Amino acid sequence: MRNRLKWWALLVAALFLVQGCVAASVVSVGAIAAKGVTKASEASRPINDSEEYYVGRAVGARILGKYPLSQNAKLTDYVNEVGQTVGRKSSRPQTFRGYHFAVLDTQEINAFACPGGTIFITRGLVQTCTTEDQLAAVLAHEVGHVANKDGINSISQARWSQVLTSMGTEAVKQYGGVGGSLVSLFEGSIDDVFKTIVVNGYSRPAEEAADKAAVTTLTRAGYDPRALTQVLDKMMAKEKGAAGGMFKTHPPTSERLAKLKAEASEAPPAKDEAVRTKRFKAMSG
Amino acid sequence: MSSPVFWKKAAVVLAALGLALLLLGPGPGWAETLEVVQPNQSLYPDPDFAGSPMGAVPQGSRVQVVRQAGDWYKVNYQGMEGWLHRQAFPAPKAQPSGLKGLLFGAPAKETTTDEAALAGKGFTPEIESGYRQKHPEVNFAQVDKVETFKVNPAKLEAFIKEGGLNP
Repeated sequence: MRNRLKWWALLVAALFLVQGCVAASVVSVGAIAAKGVTKASEASRPINDSEEYYVGRAVGARILGKYPLSQNAKLTDYVNEVGQTVGRKSSRPQTFRGYHFAVLDTQEINAFACPGGTIFITRGLVQTCTTEDQLAAVLAHEVGHVANKDGINSISQARWSQVLTSMGTEAVKQYGGVGGSLVSLFEGSIDDVFKTIVVNGYSRPAEEAADKAAVTTLTRAGYDPRALTQVLDKMMAKEKGAAGGMFKTHPPTSERLAKLKAEASEAPPAKDEAVRTKRFKAMSG
Repeated sequence: MSSPVFWKKAAVVLAALGLALLLLGPGPGWAETLEVVQPNQSLYPDPDFAGSPMGAVPQGSRVQVVRQAGDWYKVNYQGMEGWLHRQAFPAPKAQPSGLKGLLFGAPAKETTTDEAALAGKGFTPEIESGYRQKHPEVNFAQVDKVETFKVNPAKLEAFIKEGGLNP
């Protein structure tokens, strides 16, 4: 009898143990998610999607202080349709507030990817393209920069360390108000990103990685990945000798083109390009 | 006093239970409900963005978490099972160390998590507002306009179909 009682007590204890472990495992869903965040931070910078979005907004605002927005609503709609078509097939189809595409009203030939997913293409670059596939290639390349977080990664490591230090001392205590030093660090971060994407350009490995991402994205979407080399060739021809614009921020070196051609050559031929080129001409003409 | 045979048996039972827990892992009966806090989220057949989305999961939806693999959660949403990326859910908060810490040895990891959580509070609408006050020349109104540029899902589907592109 006493032994039976002990067995019951043991069973109850064991049940508690199981229950406790279940509870712990459910709680740990959050902890596992936290681990994911830590990993992502280690891969780039300790920044989350919403912070990336706010940096991107400010960079976009600075670009729109330099270039006016095109008022051509039909062209803007069309660029957004092409952009969304490639964005959803990229390695990062969803961002904090999604992808948005806009045309800048300038003859300059360039495109900019703001962190978080706002992408600008100039009227000059739209007119340099002759097919929808080429437009898609430019947008897929810029989506590649967003997906690879190239803009955000241009924020200096030293500045990020300061952000973390500042968070620990000032903003955490007076959160809800505006931490003065954080505004300055935000300002500095915007400068870092703006300088990279508008003035100096990305590193060569970042450009090649965005090309590679674009080839994959275009193939997945059903566009011809060879269109990227076509548009880079056109850009080289148009901007030969030019020191500014896309030639400076996305330099199409012969080595880069050779790598790109090799990558794109393996893709199957794209179908229905004539249909797409027709609607491109109707929009951009 | 208890006999040594009893405690020997008890130890075997507990060890077997522990082993069963380790082997079985969290099952569907242990699912947690999470709320989708981000817009434009889709359910995928596999934990990979390359696949075609199975359907949209609107912001505010509640899903049952079946299991987790890396950055992806296998979830049940209205009877449909698929994968949602972790970005659909709220950013994790740092867990206070307690029983979980004792069981899983978490505190060392949480230091880094705290840093990530703090960084998550770094650049916020308040900081943007401070930046805007300092830089009235920067064109946020136009950025707000660009953020309204969206494509209706049905229109996008028709656009893709018309162009002979992949859905």
